Amino acid sequence: MSATTAPAHGTTPRARTARAGFGATLGFELRKLRAQWRTRAVLLGALLLPIPVAFAIHAQGNPPKDSLFGRYATTNGFALALLVLGYAGQWVMPLLTAIVAGDIFASEDHHGTWKTILTRSVSRGSFFGAKTVAAMGFAILVLLILSASTIVTSVLVAGHGDLIGLSGQLIPASQAWHLVAMSWLTAIPPTVAFTGLAILLGIWSRSAAVGIAAPVVIGFVLQLVGSMGSAEALRPYLPTSAYEAWHGFLASPSFHGPFLTGLIASAVWAAITLGLSWTLLRRRDITGG
Amino acid sequence: MRRIILTFAAAVLVAVGLGGVAVATSSGSTITVPRLDRAVATSFSNVYAQEAAIEGHTGITPSSLHAKAMCDRGPNVTQSGPGATWNCLMSWTDPNVPMPPTGYGKFELNVHSNGCFTVGSPSSLIGYQTITDRRGRTVNNPAYEFDTCLDPASDNTPTGTTFPSALTITSTTVNVAADGTVGVDLACGVGAGGCQGKVAAVTDSGTALGTVDVAMTEQATAHLTFPTALPAGTKEVTFTPTTTIGFAPPKPVTLEVQG
Amino acid sequence: MNSAALAVDAEGVVKSFGAVRAVDGITIRVAPGEVYGVLGPNGAGKTTFLRMLFGLIRPDEGTLRVFGRSWDDDGTRVLEGVAGFVEAPRFYPYLTGRQNLVALARLDGGVRPGLIEEVLDTVDLADRADRKVDGYSYGMRQRLGVAAALLREPRLLVLDEPANGLDPAGIRDMRALVKRLADSGLTVLLSSHNMDEVEEICDNVTIMNRGAVAFHGSIADLRAMAPDPGHLLDTTDNARALEIADRHQVKTEADESGALHVVGPHDAVSGFVADVVAAQVRLKQFTPTQTPLEALFFMLTNTEAVAR
Repeated sequence: MSATTAPAHGTTPRARTARAGFGATLGFELRKLRAQWRTRAVLLGALLLPIPVAFAIHAQGNPPKDSLFGRYATTNGFALALLVLGYAGQWVMPLLTAIVAGDIFASEDHHGTWKTILTRSVSRGSFFGAKTVAAMGFAILVLLILSASTIVTSVLVAGHGDLIGLSGQLIPASQAWHLVAMSWLTAIPPTVAFTGLAILLGIWSRSAAVGIAAPVVIGFVLQLVGSMGSAEALRPYLPTSAYEAWHGFLASPSFHGPFLTGLIASAVWAAITLGLSWTLLRRRDITGG
Repeated sequence: MRRIILTFAAAVLVAVGLGGVAVATSSGSTITVPRLDRAVATSFSNVYAQEAAIEGHTGITPSSLHAKAMCDRGPNVTQSGPGATWNCLMSWTDPNVPMPPTGYGKFELNVHSNGCFTVGSPSSLIGYQTITDRRGRTVNNPAYEFDTCLDPASDNTPTGTTFPSALTITSTTVNVAADGTVGVDLACGVGAGGCQGKVAAVTDSGTALGTVDVAMTEQATAHLTFPTALPAGTKEVTFTPTTTIGFAPPKPVTLEVQG
Repeated sequence: MNSAALAVDAEGVVKSFGAVRAVDGITIRVAPGEVYGVLGPNGAGKTTFLRMLFGLIRPDEGTLRVFGRSWDDDGTRVLEGVAGFVEAPRFYPYLTGRQNLVALARLDGGVRPGLIEEVLDTVDLADRADRKVDGYSYGMRQRLGVAAALLREPRLLVLDEPANGLDPAGIRDMRALVKRLADSGLTVLLSSHNMDEVEEICDNVTIMNRGAVAFHGSIADLRAMAPDPGHLLDTTDNARALEIADRHQVKTEADESGALHVVGPHDAVSGFVADVVAAQVRLKQFTPTQTPLEALFFMLTNTEAVAR
């Protein structure tokens, strides 16, 4: 220990009354995310992985006709971008968001740092809000990067000719750009719902492994349920169905019912999962780290 | 332990809640005959017009085709919901490609639970996967196979389009039974109402073997046996189907006697 | 803030985990400027009590006020001017010591320039502040915990077994630091299972055992109550030692192996041993059979708690 003097107060020190605003707490969470290799890896992956995927699909002799737009994916970049969108909605997007959202609360349990951060000047509520905003922001950022990378790579690899839409109509390239971009953006609401689910699972299990893997598994299960003919009444309300809402944008005339239903359902799922998450966190006794 | 029980209870509650919502809002599937009728006709018109343009046939637009479709999920099943057994009978107007005698082409559908489906067109009317364009290049035929997605809120009023089932004789030769009587296999295709009528059989020497009634549902097969035994030495038998419901072959069918 | 308010005012605090009553009706009052010790064996409920003070655990019953504020009424403002740690302090292993402090300073609403360097200096971590915390030793983490607490420029410092797990040099340095901080006017609330430490630094003490208070009072009262721990004496001539014992105010009892169990006031026992050695009898073993704390606990849990 140093031989220098202790803090130079002669009398009982006055209490510091500075408090951290929400912005500072959010900055704290973002700072931590930035420092973790995992975050950077996901962002880099979202940027780079579409490239080999686009090339691989484009190089196939027999186009994947069993998926929407698969039959034109080798000859049309817009079709290729939409084919990848169809695949990505199945498990890639829930995974990409769960990597951060499923861990952002559980990591405090893992490092034993709840007792470190909750004994400063920031309430549990502020942390919950900041972590949720950080996770949602990350999810949307990853999605935007993945979308841009996929669309640009697909068009460079397979061309930008006119696209045959989902009513057999011929869509000129200038319009196809907009429709493809909008289709990718419709993945945001269900991804927000899955972010809420990952947050809930991370808080409930206090384990990053569960928080990351369980939303993906649940996504698979929900898709299976959705594909069962007998469960058709449930289908519009499942968070996974919203990943297919973009179909209507590519039809002629276009229809937006499934997108609106998916948007509302995603909002409800996000509200329920986040509400449950907050209840769990608020009442928790921090007995360990 | 308590946590696990509480979580399980919560999951059950969620499942029950979802089930309740499903029951409350369910009114059958959104994949219905009228919606498929319209969607198939619209998509087909668009891709067929593209095929015509590729082949250099002028004057073909989606609206000029007046395509009309009648979709059918098969016998003995509810006529709504996803499935791989959907067929659509469709007629359209193209001066370059006349309709077959039945008046329609038969298209096969594979409909998925998300309301998207793939249509396979009859190659006799539409061509194959690839066609030759005006400049002699081999290109993809957009009308051969195409994908469409249904709007679950689109017009659900029946289109009123119906096509009759086609009655066909599927035997290639005349089967002679042990007792000398003659039989023939029939098929009644997709369509409204099935097949009803008669089949008359006459030998090449002019002997009438009888007339048998036909009553079949659509997408069914039947075997008819004629009452009169086959005279010895008969080389051929001519069968003449007539229908009151359904579409009979325009010409009588002549088959050789086996053996 | 009313300066007459107690730094810590806990009354009847109860916390159960399932069937176990970890904290059973604790009442503790710490005046501003005091150095207060909470003493008890492992599992006594000290850490649980401190966690409730920090708002990490919610008490089942009772009131808990810090400088007049409570969690129910004031929320996070309770911790204004309060800093410390419970159990071993934990940080983000992927950040350096300095980065951790900078991040925590942000959570405090910012600190005055130069303070981070000051606290790193105080705990002697300045030269290793730029290494990632996952490479820190236990002692370094402990010191970083104190630094993080000092960053808040607190008026109440709450430390949970601050010397736990440190080597003897570290223990000495930590105690010296706490003394210096206490001397500078800080109120200090520290918990420990080591009576020497508490004796050395604290003014007043509460002894907890199994969730309940076994003693409240000043260190002086505690010393007065401390019983004699028993000692085990084994010599080369135990019979001779027994004779010598008669001349002193000690009780001796031989066990099966012939070694002597000696109980008595500290001075008498010292005098007895001195005489044994002077009589040319060599000592083979002279060890306490109980720690002073154990002896005290034994005594205290057999008597009623003396409340102040």
